[in-house]
Amino acid sequence: MLSFIQSPATPFKPLFNFKTLKPPPKPHFSKPIQSVLQWNRKPQLAGETPRVVVITSGKGGVGKTTTTANVGLSLARFGFSVVAIDADVGLRNLDLLLGLENRVNYTVVEVLNGDCRLDQALVRDKRWSNFELLCISKPRSKLPLGFGGKALVWLVEALKSREEGSPDFILIDCPAGIDAGFITAITPANEAVLVTTPDITSLRDADRVTGLLECDGIRDIKMIVNRVRTDMIKGEDMMSVLDVQEMLGLALLGVIPEDSEVIRSTNRGYPLVLNRPPTLAGLAFEQAAWRLVEQDSMKAVMVEEEPKKRGFFSFFGG
Amino acid sequence: MASIYTLQFNSLSSSHRLSSNVVKKHTRTEFALSYGKLSLNRLPVPRNFELRAVSSDGDHHHIKTEIVAVARQSKSPPVARFQEIVSSLPHVAFVMEKYGGSSFAIWLCFATAFLVVVVKVYMSRKSRYSPAGTVADLVRRGQLRSDRRGILQPLKYEDPFNNPMVKVGKGNSTIEMCGKVYRLAPVTLTEKEQATHQKRRSRAYQWKRPTIFLKEGDSIPPDVDPDTIRWIPSNHPFATIASDIDEDVAQDNMYQKHGVPFRIQAEHDALQRKLEMLQNEQKLNKIVIDSSNAKDLERPFKFNRKSHEPAEQNPFNIQSSNSRPPKSDQAPNTVGSKSSSEETTKT
Repeated sequence: MLSFIQSPATPFKPLFNFKTLKPPPKPHFSKPIQSVLQWNRKPQLAGETPRVVVITSGKGGVGKTTTTANVGLSLARFGFSVVAIDADVGLRNLDLLLGLENRVNYTVVEVLNGDCRLDQALVRDKRWSNFELLCISKPRSKLPLGFGGKALVWLVEALKSREEGSPDFILIDCPAGIDAGFITAITPANEAVLVTTPDITSLRDADRVTGLLECDGIRDIKMIVNRVRTDMIKGEDMMSVLDVQEMLGLALLGVIPEDSEVIRSTNRGYPLVLNRPPTLAGLAFEQAAWRLVEQDSMKAVMVEEEPKKRGFFSFFGG
Repeated sequence: MASIYTLQFNSLSSSHRLSSNVVKKHTRTEFALSYGKLSLNRLPVPRNFELRAVSSDGDHHHIKTEIVAVARQSKSPPVARFQEIVSSLPHVAFVMEKYGGSSFAIWLCFATAFLVVVVKVYMSRKSRYSPAGTVADLVRRGQLRSDRRGILQPLKYEDPFNNPMVKVGKGNSTIEMCGKVYRLAPVTLTEKEQATHQKRRSRAYQWKRPTIFLKEGDSIPPDVDPDTIRWIPSNHPFATIASDIDEDVAQDNMYQKHGVPFRIQAEHDALQRKLEMLQNEQKLNKIVIDSSNAKDLERPFKFNRKSHEPAEQNPFNIQSSNSRPPKSDQAPNTVGSKSSSEETTKT
C-alpha cells in the first residue's frame, strides 16, 4: 500500500477569492514534508523541533557511537533532517563509523576561532543528503573547560536559525564518563537516550548518569539495552531486559541483539542500518529510531524459546 | 643449350601413386563462420598430378615422367572441380556416420552458444542505448545529484514493524526470526515504579552544574555556591583557565552565515597592510636626495669636525622616521582582542 504524503491536512480553500480576485494567503505549515514515500507508513514526528537528544551511557564501550550513527541514519532515511555532533573533545570516533573521516576538515573549534563558518564545518553524507556530521574538535586541540557547554548552546541556536531551516533532530554523541566532556554534551539537550548493556558494571554507571541527567533538568530519558544475547538470557547467564528495566526504572526505547555485523560495518564505515537484507541489529536500530520519532517506548520484549518440534506431516504444511 | 620445358598436367586419382618421388602437396581448406567463433579444418586431400617435362631440344629419351602433386591451377574447369568436391564427400559422410549418435548434441551446443551470444549482444545494446541529451546524462556525469531527482527509482524501504522476515505466530505470542523462536513478554514497569526510581536517584545523586573553574590554590570568590566550583588539577591535559578565546567574538563566529570567516579576514587584512608598508618603504628608498634641499634641512651648528658626521646623517634619519608608521596602527585587531580578552578574564 503506497501513501503519498504531500502536506499536512488542511481544509479546502478556493484558489482565488472571487470578490477581490486575489489569491488567498498561503497557509503556514510547521514543516513541509518534501519526500515522496514508497513504504507503507512513516513515523509521525512528536515534540517540538529541533529535538536535541544526547546519547550517553557513563561506561565506555557499550555502543553509544554505534547507536548515534545507526539511529541518526535511520532518522535520515525516514526523511527527517539530522545533525549528528561528536561531542568527544579528545577522542573522535563518529566520523570513522560513518565512513566520513577523510571529509572532516573543520570542527567547532575552528568555527569558534573564526577560521571557517559553521556551514563549512558541517559534513554532509553523500548517501543521505539530509544527514550531517559535526565534530567538536580535532584530537590535539583544546577547548577551555566551562566554555564547551556555552559553545554547544550557541551551536544549537545557530543551527536553528540557519537558512536551510532548522534540523529535525540534533543527536549529540556524549563521551564516556561524567567529566567535563559529559557536562559539555548534556548542556543543550532536552532529552536523553541511555545506552547500557545487561551487565552489572554498566548498569551501575547508567544509574549514576541517569541521576546526573535528572539533576541537570533532563527528564525525558529512555534506554537502549545493547549487546543482548538471548541464548545467554535463556540459560540464565545474563540478565534479561526486564531485569535491567526493573533495576533502572527507565522506559525502553530499544533492545539491540549482539551482532558480529557491527564490527564489520565499523571496519567498512558503512552503518548497519544500510545493509540489505537488514540484520537483526539493524532492524532493532530502525525500530528504536521509529520509537524515538514518535516518543514511544517498547511495550513488550522478545524472549527466546525452544523451537517447536515438527511432526512427520509438517513437511506437507500441516 | 637452354631447354624450354613445358609442363603438362594430368590429374590422377589418389589411388594411383606410381612413383616414390611423388611430391604431394596437400591443400588445406579452411573455412570459418562469419561470427569468428567456429572454424573447421578439412582433412587434407592428397592430389597427385602427373608432371611431364618436355624439352624442346628433342631429346625425348631422357624425359622422365614424374608424378608430382602440384597445386591445382585456378583455370581448371568448374565441372572437374565440382567432381572433386563430390568425390571428397564420402569422407564427410564417413565421419558423420561414425559420430552419428552425437550429432544432435553437437547441433544443440551450437544452437545454445548462438543463443547466448545473441542474448548478450542484445543486453549490451540495450544497456548502452540511452536517449541523448537528457537529464539522465547530467546525473550520470555527476553534475546533478541522483537522490534529488525523480528520474531514478527511489529506494523502497521496508517497514521495520512489518518486515516479511519476521513471522508472527497465529496467537500473536510467538515470533519466528532468523531460525529462532521468540515469545513476547510484556513490559511490567509502571509509572509508579518509575517515580519511585526517580526519587531514589534524586536522594542518591545530588549534583549541580559547575559554573566556575578554578585552579588549585585559587581563592573562592564570595557569594559563590561551593557546589558549583570545579577544581581543576594543574596537570590536567585539557585545562585552560585563561581563556584564549574571546567569548563575544566566538559567539559572533558561530552565528556567521555569509562571507569570509573573521580570522581569515583579519589575517588577510594584516597581510595586506604589511604588503602596503613594504611597498611604501621601497618607494621611499628609491627617492634620490637633492643636496641643495638637504642644506636647507640642516640645522645651524658650530663648526666642529665631530659634529659633521651626525649632521650628515640627520636627513636620512628624518626620512626613515617618516617612513615608519606608528606602532599602534599595526594589527589593531589582535591587540584589541588580547586586551579585551584580558579584561574579560579579570572580570
